[in-house]
Amino acid sequence: MSQVAARIGPPRRLAVDLPAALNLVGMLGKYLGAAALFPIPIALTHHEPIWPFVVAGAATSGVGFALERATRGSAGRVGVREGFLVVSATWLLAAGFASIPYLLAGGDQLSSPVDAYFEGMSGFTTTGATVVTNYDDLERSVDMWRQFTQWLGGMGIIVLAIAVLPRLRVGGRQMLESELPGPEIAQLSERVRSTARKLWVLYLALTALEALALAALGWLGLDDAMTPFEAVAHALTTMPTGGFSTQPRSIEPFSATAQWIILVFMVVAGANFALLYRGLVRRRPRVFLRDEELRIYLALMLIASVALTAMVWSEGLASGEAAIRQGFFQVVSMVTTTGYATTDFALWPVLLTMTLFALMFVGGSAGSTGGSIKVVRHLLLGKLLRREVDQTLSPELVMPIRLNGAPVDERTVRAVAAFVLLYVGAWAVGSGIVAVDSAITGAGLGALDTLATTATCLGNIGPAFGPAGPMGSFAPLGDVSKVTLIGLMWLGRLEIVPVVVLLTRHYWRL
Amino acid sequence: MRIFLIGAGQVGSTIAEALHEEHELTVLDTEGSRLQALTGRFDVAVFEGDGTSRKDLAAAGVGNANLVIACTSRDEVNIVAGMFARREAPVATTVIRTSSVEYVDLWREGQLDVDFVVSSELETAYAISRVIGVPAARQTDVFADGQVQVGEFAIDGDASPQVVGVPLRDAAMPPESKVAAILRRDETIFPRGSDVIEDGDRIVVIGSPGAAKAWSGLLWPAGGTVRDVVVYGAGRVGSAIARVLVDQGISVRMVEASREQARRAAETFPGVRIFHATGFDPDFLERERIGNAQAGILAMRDDAKNLYAASLMRVHGIPFTIAIAHEPVSVSAFDRAGIDVSVNPRGVTAEEIVRFAHDPRTQQVAMLEGNRFEVLDVTTRDSSRYIGTAFRDMPVHGALIGAIVRDGRALFPHGDDVLQAGDRVIVFTEATNAPWVVEAL
Repeated sequence: MSQVAARIGPPRRLAVDLPAALNLVGMLGKYLGAAALFPIPIALTHHEPIWPFVVAGAATSGVGFALERATRGSAGRVGVREGFLVVSATWLLAAGFASIPYLLAGGDQLSSPVDAYFEGMSGFTTTGATVVTNYDDLERSVDMWRQFTQWLGGMGIIVLAIAVLPRLRVGGRQMLESELPGPEIAQLSERVRSTARKLWVLYLALTALEALALAALGWLGLDDAMTPFEAVAHALTTMPTGGFSTQPRSIEPFSATAQWIILVFMVVAGANFALLYRGLVRRRPRVFLRDEELRIYLALMLIASVALTAMVWSEGLASGEAAIRQGFFQVVSMVTTTGYATTDFALWPVLLTMTLFALMFVGGSAGSTGGSIKVVRHLLLGKLLRREVDQTLSPELVMPIRLNGAPVDERTVRAVAAFVLLYVGAWAVGSGIVAVDSAITGAGLGALDTLATTATCLGNIGPAFGPAGPMGSFAPLGDVSKVTLIGLMWLGRLEIVPVVVLLTRHYWRL
Repeated sequence: MRIFLIGAGQVGSTIAEALHEEHELTVLDTEGSRLQALTGRFDVAVFEGDGTSRKDLAAAGVGNANLVIACTSRDEVNIVAGMFARREAPVATTVIRTSSVEYVDLWREGQLDVDFVVSSELETAYAISRVIGVPAARQTDVFADGQVQVGEFAIDGDASPQVVGVPLRDAAMPPESKVAAILRRDETIFPRGSDVIEDGDRIVVIGSPGAAKAWSGLLWPAGGTVRDVVVYGAGRVGSAIARVLVDQGISVRMVEASREQARRAAETFPGVRIFHATGFDPDFLERERIGNAQAGILAMRDDAKNLYAASLMRVHGIPFTIAIAHEPVSVSAFDRAGIDVSVNPRGVTAEEIVRFAHDPRTQQVAMLEGNRFEVLDVTTRDSSRYIGTAFRDMPVHGALIGAIVRDGRALFPHGDDVLQAGDRVIVFTEATNAPWVVEAL
């Protein structure tokens, strides 16, 4: 009997393999530190200090390395269960990494840890909300670092790691799916690694194309403001639908042509990359015509743009090409969750800001770099409601929900409904906290401003209205609000569920 | 002809019954008792063995056969048997039965190495769709890939005076059609222009599918066309029926009691409304207005349920009911109970397979009025004495050419047209004349 008792041993109550998860987070952190090398050439050419980036890189790699070493012996396999923790923790770590250069070289406006972390989280989650108030004080290398963190976060840190690291111990699709936006319905390729590679190669190519197109405007003398530096900086935040700009007035200083080019690339960035890959790389353009989500995504933007153009024109805010451009640009920026602006729309009349506010909940396509709810979820939810209505009349009716003609798994449909409820719930709770905090600190947010501030962060968009408008800053908000918004950005980027799973008791204990 | 039959179940024994008199039959089956029952009734050679064993097939003498028919109830057995038969008897024609539409599609693409594939489900669905397409017809059959339709109609008081009571040469008949015969009591008339269709006659019409529909409208003006159908049962047969009817633009609703099957059918047919229900609940029938359908098709597995559901449908006001009778004996019970048309899938399959045992030039045969008449699809020989004869000069005793297929297209010949070598002709004939007709062509 005593032998059996010995074999049974003490209770093993911890359900998640913590060392294994931390080991992988450490390894990811170790490699992520290398990203700090990117702004160093810019620092050197502009005679700016490079040590903030060296310190940031070394600290991140060092912490990662230490974490990896500390958990090396006991680490088991990273399974589905550990995946949620890895993804959630990696993104917290990445935001911390991004904030180090701000703390060291950001001057007064980024010297508070909360502000620096806010800017770091806003960067990696491709939100584009900023606490920067004085852009002239920022060094060019720090400028570029802000832009670059958005580019890294756009397609996903772990997706990148899977694509480039040779021996990442990741079992299946789980982690990839936690990080890729949108419900996974159709898959690009059989193997996770080749999917990740294809996505990143396409992402890189599109970014390079945009940078060249914008730089060409500068070279041809069509846009004096569009220097090669600006071209790269804005390409780096268009493709991830990020929205950080090096300019205090976002995209406004650039020429109309540059704005139209950026608009086109925003539309592309908000489309499904797996679909883009099939259509562009494999040259099957017919997939674009057949895709239900893409059709609705484009149609919705077109209708909203025309409506907003009409409002802008009739309110006398602009006319002719400028009105059309303002209407289209603002709508595309909101729907794709980029967050650029070509005019300070926070000053617009309430009907126009309400329109933009409503568009904050649309989101780009599944499998794009965009945030928010996403078109396909609206589509599936609409079909679910349609079925509920039909089944009220005929309870016996069997009606699979279809997308592009193919039946969608009922679990996926349920997950979509749950996601939307969680999304609205997170937005409501966040708004409540921000409202209370702004009342206490006297930040002076109106009702719509409060709701938009949380919606824009949860949707990874960027600008809100009022003081936190596109030309404004989130700096006036209290620390509690900022921490809440940091949480919302994090939740929004990971699409809530992987984080919420961590909050359940049975995730940790049997 | 030496015919090798694999499978002595319902389909196999029906085939044996039809072919044993004229042909040399060998039947192989795994069950000795079935073979014994077969030898008790017919003069056939039997062999107890496995159709998927090449050794057994060779030992049973498949190599000597001209025609190999694999018609067990299992698709995989039939495919393997057909494949081995191909090896053992390279010149024989191989025919296999399948219940999967997927295998039929594969065969059409040339991916299955057999000569013909016959699907019980599809043949049943086609039989039902023919009945639905021409609701006034007592019986109909199609030839030449559906380009030619033959239908038998009963003439009653409702028929349009356009075609009844006037000499045929003056009748406003639908174009692309021909009255092949008028059956008046025990008399058969191969009509000339001066003949008249009378009330109480039955007529056989050969024409394009459109013309057959037009005839149906003329002879049963109140009937109209069926556009809305309810199918009970979403299993293989029910699904095949839904597929064929939907392709014809008919609106289909389905009722299926098994949740899993209802779900599968709903995923397969986007345009079909499918209900997960037994279909016997009066509330359901009333709420969904099942009784408003123009036709009801009963394709459940259980004949008794089909019979009961058909009665319910009639009670709720469906005017036209078609039921699947899995057991041959059910056909007469269904008839007696007032079901308009009964279809026995295995019977339909056997009939389809039997056609392959005819003269190689004869592609297809249909029976009318029991076995009194046959419709033959024959390719004319170069040496036929009627090559170059105008249709007006063709002899008209006991047979009539209704249509010809030339270069893959169906033509409905006029008097001036001339028969050419290599034409496929669709001939209506008295069964006793059939050998002579095949000989003459």
